[in-house]
Amino acid sequence: ALSAYQQHSRRARRKDWIKLIYSTSLTPEQILSDQPSKSTAQSDGDAEDEFFTIKSEATVGRADEDEDRTKDVLDEEGLKAWEDEELLDSIRGLFITGSSSQ
Amino acid sequence: DEALQAVAPYAVSHVMSAPQLVLSILSGKPVKIDKIRSDDKNPGLRDYEVSLLRLLERITNGTVIEISVTGTAVLLKPGIIAGGSVTHECPLTRSVGYFLEPVIMLAPFAKKPLSLTLKGITTDDQDLSADLIRTVTLPHLQLFGISDGLELRIKKRGSPPLGGGEVHFLCPIVKQVKTLNFVEAGKIKRIRGIAHAVRISPQFSNRMIEASRSVLNRYIPDIYLYSDVYKGEDSGKSPGYALSLLAESTTGALHCAEATSKPGTAPEDIALLASRALLSEVQGGGCVDRKHQTLILMMMVLGSEDVGKCRMGVPTPRT
Repeated sequence: ALSAYQQHSRRARRKDWIKLIYSTSLTPEQILSDQPSKSTAQSDGDAEDEFFTIKSEATVGRADEDEDRTKDVLDEEGLKAWEDEELLDSIRGLFITGSSSQ
Repeated sequence: DEALQAVAPYAVSHVMSAPQLVLSILSGKPVKIDKIRSDDKNPGLRDYEVSLLRLLERITNGTVIEISVTGTAVLLKPGIIAGGSVTHECPLTRSVGYFLEPVIMLAPFAKKPLSLTLKGITTDDQDLSADLIRTVTLPHLQLFGISDGLELRIKKRGSPPLGGGEVHFLCPIVKQVKTLNFVEAGKIKRIRGIAHAVRISPQFSNRMIEASRSVLNRYIPDIYLYSDVYKGEDSGKSPGYALSLLAESTTGALHCAEATSKPGTAPEDIALLASRALLSEVQGGGCVDRKHQTLILMMMVLGSEDVGKCRMGVPTPRT
């Protein structure tokens, strides 16, 4: 049941990569995040009472050293999800020993 | 080569990235990068970026690199990829993986086979370790028909912060890369791993292997985790340990993960981290490893006119 649920949610998140990458001006992070339009919606909302325009995240704060790396930072908390037996069992089908019907 | 025409004749950007330099050299088109970290407290190029530019200058012939006095602008006019025998001392701010990655994209297209010796850090938490490049990156190149004489030898290991490692990379030259057609991910049939511990009790390797098996043993019997021992001078200047894992499918798809030692963390925790990261990679699917998407796409662009196909997992921001 869990794997069926995951398959379903994955399908819902399927994206039109060609459109996102070539026809929009979104940053890679925005394309990969689940709500690519979030940032534009925000700036529309409270444009009135903001005197200073906040520089986009890309230009301030974010040390770009962080981006120029091949290995992702290991998400220790996220990876704890693998303590869960059901999740461990859910990918059995990807191994030769797992039955393909799963 | 038509795909390369898509790159603007005089590409301008504000972030120096290795793939961008590679494209410039392969296409023979100059690239200008300005306003590098101009908003940063410490503006301009980092020492490892300058070092990479110098390395690229050395494996090519006739390349002109101009760096502005402030270090915030670079102009690269590419020459031809010469290859040959080169030795390079990498700064201790990045591991040899950072330097090898762009070199691997260029070396097959050199005039002479490249024989490159890199000195510095062989494993860190930012770039592919020498182990992963040897066991995962090079097999990915073989998909494109680059295989005979392709080799990476880890002569000495070097952990951060002091390094002291040395690797030797040999790359053959090819006239044309093969067109890739890889859409069947297959099923994982074996898992391999390399555990190493330098300037520290070799027992750490065994503890990592033990812990990793506690996660991975449930899936398949064909698991071989190797404890790689380096002694004396060959183990570098700083203590450290790491576990590199790779999973191979029935169709030859590779997925890899790795975790390196951090102060105050037990080897068991590092092993669990690496093992779980590997499971995430496997779950992500696709025919090529996520950390190698850039390399694969680059090689596909450089292929002959036939259209290559490759099924990948979700792209990474870097890709």
